[in-house]
Amino acid sequence: MNYPVWDVAFGAGLLIATVAIIHVFVSHFAVGGGLFLVVTERKARRNGDTKLLDWLKFHSKFFVLVTVVFGVVTGVGIWFTIGLINPTATSDLIHIYVWGWAIEWVFFFTEISAALFYLYGWDKLDARVHQWFGWIYFIAAFASLVVINGIITFMLTSGSWVKNHQFWSGFFNPTYFPSLALRFAICLALAGVYALITASVQKDKALKARIVRWSALWIVPSLAMMPAFGWWYIHQIPSHVWASARGPMPTATDFAHYAVILLVVAFALALISLIKPARMHLAFSLLIALVALGTMGSFEFVRESVRLPYVIDNYLYANSIYASPVPGDGGFNLEKIKQAGVLKTAKWVKTRELTPENQVAVGREVFRVDCESCHTTDEYRGVKELLTLRQWDQAKTQTMLGVLYLMHNNVMPPFAGNNAEQAALAAFLYSLEPTRAREAGPPDGHTVFVHNCAMCHEPRKNDYLFKYLPKDPATAIKALEHLPNLFPLMPDLKLSAAERTALVQWVNTRRGIAAHAAGQGGN
Amino acid sequence: MIAPNLIPAPDPNPLPAPYWVLETLLLVTFFLHILAMNFMLGGAVMALVAKWGPAKRKNGNRMFSDIARKLPVLLPAVITVGIAPLLFVQVLYGQFFYTSSIIMAWPWLFVLVLLAAAYYGFYFVSYKKERYPDRAGLVLLLSVVSIFIIAFLFSNNITLTQTPARWGAKYFADPGGWNLNLSEPTLIPRYLHFMTAAVALGGILLVLLAWARWKQDREYARDVFHLGGKTFMYATMAEFLVGIWFLVALPRQMTYLFLGGDPLATILLGIAVAGAIGAIVVMARALRSENIRLAAYSVMGIMSVVIFSMVGIREILFHAYLKPYFHPEQFAVKTQWSVFPLFLVLFVAGVILWFVMLKRYGLFARRKLPDQPQP
Repeated sequence: MNYPVWDVAFGAGLLIATVAIIHVFVSHFAVGGGLFLVVTERKARRNGDTKLLDWLKFHSKFFVLVTVVFGVVTGVGIWFTIGLINPTATSDLIHIYVWGWAIEWVFFFTEISAALFYLYGWDKLDARVHQWFGWIYFIAAFASLVVINGIITFMLTSGSWVKNHQFWSGFFNPTYFPSLALRFAICLALAGVYALITASVQKDKALKARIVRWSALWIVPSLAMMPAFGWWYIHQIPSHVWASARGPMPTATDFAHYAVILLVVAFALALISLIKPARMHLAFSLLIALVALGTMGSFEFVRESVRLPYVIDNYLYANSIYASPVPGDGGFNLEKIKQAGVLKTAKWVKTRELTPENQVAVGREVFRVDCESCHTTDEYRGVKELLTLRQWDQAKTQTMLGVLYLMHNNVMPPFAGNNAEQAALAAFLYSLEPTRAREAGPPDGHTVFVHNCAMCHEPRKNDYLFKYLPKDPATAIKALEHLPNLFPLMPDLKLSAAERTALVQWVNTRRGIAAHAAGQGGN
Repeated sequence: MIAPNLIPAPDPNPLPAPYWVLETLLLVTFFLHILAMNFMLGGAVMALVAKWGPAKRKNGNRMFSDIARKLPVLLPAVITVGIAPLLFVQVLYGQFFYTSSIIMAWPWLFVLVLLAAAYYGFYFVSYKKERYPDRAGLVLLLSVVSIFIIAFLFSNNITLTQTPARWGAKYFADPGGWNLNLSEPTLIPRYLHFMTAAVALGGILLVLLAWARWKQDREYARDVFHLGGKTFMYATMAEFLVGIWFLVALPRQMTYLFLGGDPLATILLGIAVAGAIGAIVVMARALRSENIRLAAYSVMGIMSVVIFSMVGIREILFHAYLKPYFHPEQFAVKTQWSVFPLFLVLFVAGVILWFVMLKRYGLFARRKLPDQPQP
């Protein structure tokens, strides 16, 4: 609202994710690969293994072309992209951590210089000095991870910073150390994964086998450690936050599954590569890299998804609205916006007055400033598809907008705007013309559940609906007449008697209560 | 109706150091960035001139190789040094810079694609120039064109950053980020001002290269020296014309700043103009007497002062544009004493380590003269 919203048709969130994932896949290699280079050089020199040394020269050229060129450009790319898509959060992070970024820049500059000296020094420097450059490189690269890790984890678990606003409180936040351990394990694994690529194009089979075995020594133990570090990491995230990845939030849940599956696949592929290391093919090495990219991308997706509704934990919502009033926030906090409305608060809206004639146009503007940081109309997290799934009409959409913050384990911020703007947003969403399903016969319970309940409830034992809905069908059907009586925050959805009956019947079937009882209740 | 004041409020987190500290860091690091950029872009242009320039040179291909080899080092220098001013500009002027970037989001992101293309182009030229000499020239040309476009996009963004009055119309006409700032009257002269400066500094890069080869291979070095020295002189002369164009294209009250309206602006412009004239004279004398040391030391020294003055001028102009909207006193300041000293210590340590690295790499070692002069 403070800044203009860049209208990215296919989804701003997807753009950030793409740039970020590509970058981290290279930047973690930049750290682990640095250690790999210098340790492998030491090993080769000790053993007088000139062939390995020759390969390492070739590999270091590949390393520089990937990290110093592509890694650096995509790193700048992240800066550009987050500034375009979430300028408020970027500005906050810049101001809170200027000296962190500045320190990281010192390490970064050292790192890039050392990488180039290392590459160009192969035929110029003596072995000892050359390795010295390699160590300088690795230490600087690791130090830059140490710094960046503090800022990234701060966004997920801001710790006591929200209360005291102290640099180090936010920096060494609850997930700092597990994240550092996990990311360093990723760095080491990626060092081996990338080495397989250059190893695979070696003609000397014995050399290739040596490199593949050596690379596997980096990949396999690192991957094996990841579940432990992951477990540590997850246990530092408040359990109600992590709960998003356990079902209620589709993005977090799906990617958590992908991360685990792909990790296992990567592990298996790394082991398979050891069966006939001399026959490592380029395509196979690229497959391993692709699976590693998928694993890492999934992990980053989970991290970013469970963080929602915040972009900075307990401080700033994903749509750049401050969760609570903060001195100097320019009025861009939830409380103020709910009071004054979007049209009176946002700087970057065209229309300042809401009339019955411009309701849809205003709704479009409200959608842009309130929702577009995560949603599009038709593409990534497209609302049209969601509305088709739920089959809400305009009135129900308006009601549901009032309880956004309850949905999918609270991953959305509360609607920021006044009641009239909520109605305008509903009118705009309805104007997208989500496909209406044909009413055919009496409603079935599952459909009623999907249309009305599934955004907050899941069909599992300890879900509130499944646990606390009265077991007696008649009582349950009666109870569902006025939902706020069940729980005050629930939306006042007016389900028809037939819908309530079907729903109760379906819920009772799911929780193993005899169907005939439900049937009797419906009579 | 468009809101009268679209300028975003600065975020609620205070500056972690006094404004002047951050502004100084911005200016110093921007100076280093622009210096590196000038050498990189100017050097790449000179490589093309050496290869395909109007006067076919005997040493053209060798000069091309000599410069091309340095480009993959110069470009990361530009980027790494450039990250610091990118950080500090966000600290101080984020409310303007983010907004203009969003308005021209897609062209702005395209900078990265061009940058990656140019970068890989430089490596291709550096590694494959012997194997594919013709293709290397073409690839270098494409890289140079990419960088010229990047610079043009930067000029668009910075001119848009400092003219908030244009934002509303552009953004609401296309919130999808497909905008430029082509209607800005200073855009072209400003852009050419930077690009001509880059060519001039490319000339100095050749002078430095000639100096490094002076004892080993006089004939080649002399050729490089003359090409570099003359390019520097002519480009700097052209810079006067472009500079005058730029000055008169500015809104009148801003032109006036440099003609006595603002003492500091006038003095800095005076230093820059006098310095540039002095540098041309010194270069002419150095070329006549073939005094490479004079050209390398004095001209480089003078031009450092000129460029720093120009960086100051640029900042004064930036503030003049933003005067109605930007007030440094708007910032709350809370110096982060628990971490700022750590940055200073690490920064100094980093600089020392960098020099140690240069030394250990042998960049300060005296070069041995070869037994036989090279052909």
